[in-house]
Amino acid sequence: MSLPARVATLVVAFLAVVAGVLWVVFDIIGPQPTLENYAPYAKNGAVDITLMTAPQTTVSNKPDWVSYFIKNPATGQFDHTTYFAVPANTKVNVTILGYDGCTPLRNPVWGRVTGVVGDVENVSYFNKGQTSSPQAVSTFDSWANCSVQHTFAIPNLGINVPVASPPTVEENNNLCTTSPCVGNDDDSGTAPHSVVTFSFTTPKTAGTFRWQCFIPCGGGYLDGNGGPMGTPGYMMGQMEVEA
Amino acid sequence: MAVDTSSAGGAAPVPVRDRRDALWLAGIWVVLSIVCCFLVALVWGPHMPPGAQSTSAASQQFDIRVLGTIATPVILGVFLYFGWAVTFWRKRPGDETDAVPIHGNVRVQSTWIVVTSVIVLFLAAFGTYELIQPAGAGGGEGPQPIWKPPGTTTSSITSWTPGTSNILQIQVIGQQWAWTYRYPQFGGFETTQLAIPVGEPVQFNVTSLDVIHSFWAYTLGVKADANPGVNNVAYTTAYHTGDFQVRCDELCGIWHGAMYDTGEVLSVPNFMAWTKATAIKMASVTKLLPPYALTYDPTTIPAGPINQALGLTSAGGGYYNPADPEQP
Repeated sequence: MSLPARVATLVVAFLAVVAGVLWVVFDIIGPQPTLENYAPYAKNGAVDITLMTAPQTTVSNKPDWVSYFIKNPATGQFDHTTYFAVPANTKVNVTILGYDGCTPLRNPVWGRVTGVVGDVENVSYFNKGQTSSPQAVSTFDSWANCSVQHTFAIPNLGINVPVASPPTVEENNNLCTTSPCVGNDDDSGTAPHSVVTFSFTTPKTAGTFRWQCFIPCGGGYLDGNGGPMGTPGYMMGQMEVEA
Repeated sequence: MAVDTSSAGGAAPVPVRDRRDALWLAGIWVVLSIVCCFLVALVWGPHMPPGAQSTSAASQQFDIRVLGTIATPVILGVFLYFGWAVTFWRKRPGDETDAVPIHGNVRVQSTWIVVTSVIVLFLAAFGTYELIQPAGAGGGEGPQPIWKPPGTTTSSITSWTPGTSNILQIQVIGQQWAWTYRYPQFGGFETTQLAIPVGEPVQFNVTSLDVIHSFWAYTLGVKADANPGVNNVAYTTAYHTGDFQVRCDELCGIWHGAMYDTGEVLSVPNFMAWTKATAIKMASVTKLLPPYALTYDPTTIPAGPINQALGLTSAGGGYYNPADPEQP
């Protein structure tokens, strides 16, 4: 084989290996969740953001995975993503619609609300067309009561908010069956769910902050910590703080 | 080439030029070693990791200084010989002669065996002493530690007074993906903040609620694996106040790299004030925690009536539900 042929063979072989490695890497990583950009919607130093928990993800190829959804600020529809952007040094008013059923916390310490305004969250419950009055709650006992379904935590900002769950056996047995849950319910109109609201202030400088759930809710995986617990777009995500 | 026929051991004669080279090499090596050993031990040494913030950190830094000082002549010898060979012993243009045949040399071989044996045996003895002397050198000693800080006892795990022999107990709990810290001698509160008092021996009881983590307070020189169902004990005593970094040192999932904290060494009065304030702040959740134990089993929780009605007799996690099609 001539020298140019040898060099060409080597180059082609090298490029083939590189392409194979890249293909495997990107296949494992998969497509990243879309970013819901709330920054342009901030007014007077505050921005409102709405999230949802759903007991399944029928809009994905993992229909039995529990997941968060985020409302698209432009369309008002809930998208299957956990990435959102907010401005720096801004009060973020969060609403979480909790459509999943209760699960006891593995560590009860995560039942305490921390890092948000007043260290409390306001909780109301919806069932059969009725919404209860909001109650301020600072601590949940998820072992004695069926009270928590997931948590919304940004550890590096000291934020931990338990997401209240529908409080009765009957409600937990009648959770929504398709996701996102809004507008996809049985003939009762809307499935039972909690409405959790709280506020926190973003840091003064830009940065990326991971957020996660502290209830291992990846059923079927090692101690519940695989699957949706460890996959962007399901039970963990990122908050981009824009300068 | 001039040849000296007086070589020992009956080996092949040593060329005079090679003997001259050997003398030069040895002379340069000795001088460089003396200078560099002093520099490594006395100039670089005090700045070596992990610093000297605690007994265990200072002990580790001392060990690294000793090892670095011993390694310096070895490294210098290797590089000096390499440089000398490349510079002076390389093949010259037109030189087609063979090199001098290599034969065994009893004196060289004996010296090599004795010197390396002495170094290895010294390091084994030194390492063992350094592991014992500072109570495990900050490493996790398992549930029943052999080496404890001298003069300390565990006479009470429900109260603690500064300046007594009763050692301060701090439980480190790993979970994906955060550390929490429990203080059994101050009412058993649990918090995400780690604070220790200066000058007081501390016993870290390290465990995990899920997978294997590793508690690494590296500027304190403390490192202990956090295994579920196991209590891993490590000791240290802080020398001075200030911050220290805590990291997870065992790959534990997607946010392993974000599992870090900043701890704080406080003066004793400030530490006592901090424990008092934190106990009050965490009181509402402290009463919901399981009784203090060295390990915890989330599968055996005291489930309430609604949880039981829903079939929830353990904390979230699934624990390999055999009916789940995605069981790994």
